[in-house]
Amino acid sequence: MSVNLDKLVEDILKESRAKAEEAKKEGLTQIEDSISKARAEAMKEADLIGRNTKTECDAAINRRVSQEKQKARLAYLAAKNMVLDDVMSEVQRKLVEFSRDDSRYRPFLLKSIVRGMDAIPSDSVKVALSESDLRRYGGPKLVEDALAKMPTPKTAVLNDEPIRTIGGAVVTSQDDKVRVDCTLEAKLGLMKTQLLAEISKILFASK
Amino acid sequence: MKKIVEAEKESQQMLEATKQEISELRKGVPNRVGTMRQQILRQATEQREKTLADAERKGAQEAEQIASEAKRHVESLSKISKDKRKQAVERAIELLLS
Repeated sequence: MSVNLDKLVEDILKESRAKAEEAKKEGLTQIEDSISKARAEAMKEADLIGRNTKTECDAAINRRVSQEKQKARLAYLAAKNMVLDDVMSEVQRKLVEFSRDDSRYRPFLLKSIVRGMDAIPSDSVKVALSESDLRRYGGPKLVEDALAKMPTPKTAVLNDEPIRTIGGAVVTSQDDKVRVDCTLEAKLGLMKTQLLAEISKILFASK
Repeated sequence: MKKIVEAEKESQQMLEATKQEISELRKGVPNRVGTMRQQILRQATEQREKTLADAERKGAQEAEQIASEAKRHVESLSKISKDKRKQAVERAIELLLS
């Protein structure tokens, strides 16, 4: 009888120990689960911080690099423009020299007058020249020589008002409605883009 | 009979003690989670600051490289030979007077 009772008591204690163990195990598992979940959540946030940082860094580097590239481009362009300005100034000086060289300039002036006359769609025209050209070559003689070279006969008179130019002529119709500027300055202005392109090709073309 | 009652009582106490132990552990969870979270985020923030500083350094290095290359390019313009300049002027004059 006593042995059976002891066995019963032992069973009761054994069962409750097992229950307690089970409850503890379950409780610990739940705690570990919630900690794991929280850790995963925090890691996710940390990962997002990392990814955002990478994007931010890439953007910062790109921004810095493109700012510097832009600065470099502008500096190079400014330096290039200075070189081009120098060359264009030299071109202008050469044009002045050219206009003082009678043997080369007179035929050019004559050609300019003929071109201007030819471009005016009327029979009579006015020719304006610079004061120095009028003095050097005699205006009427130039006009006469130009008329002789015209493919179609026209009449021309000298404009009373001399023009200010390095060289060349301005031809207008008698009624002043049509004006053809054949001065070196006008040609320089008209051809500036083409000239700069040609000059750039020679100066800056990579080898 | 008395022994059985005592055994029942003891087992009840055992369960209660386990519940109490678990309950105490549960109470500590928010603190543990908070500390752990703080630590993880602090590490991430430290890493972020380090990465940003590295990027700042890298950007500055690249910018410096670009600037020095640009300086070299600009300097190369002042080394254009007189011959080339003369050639360019002559070509421009040739176009203008043609």
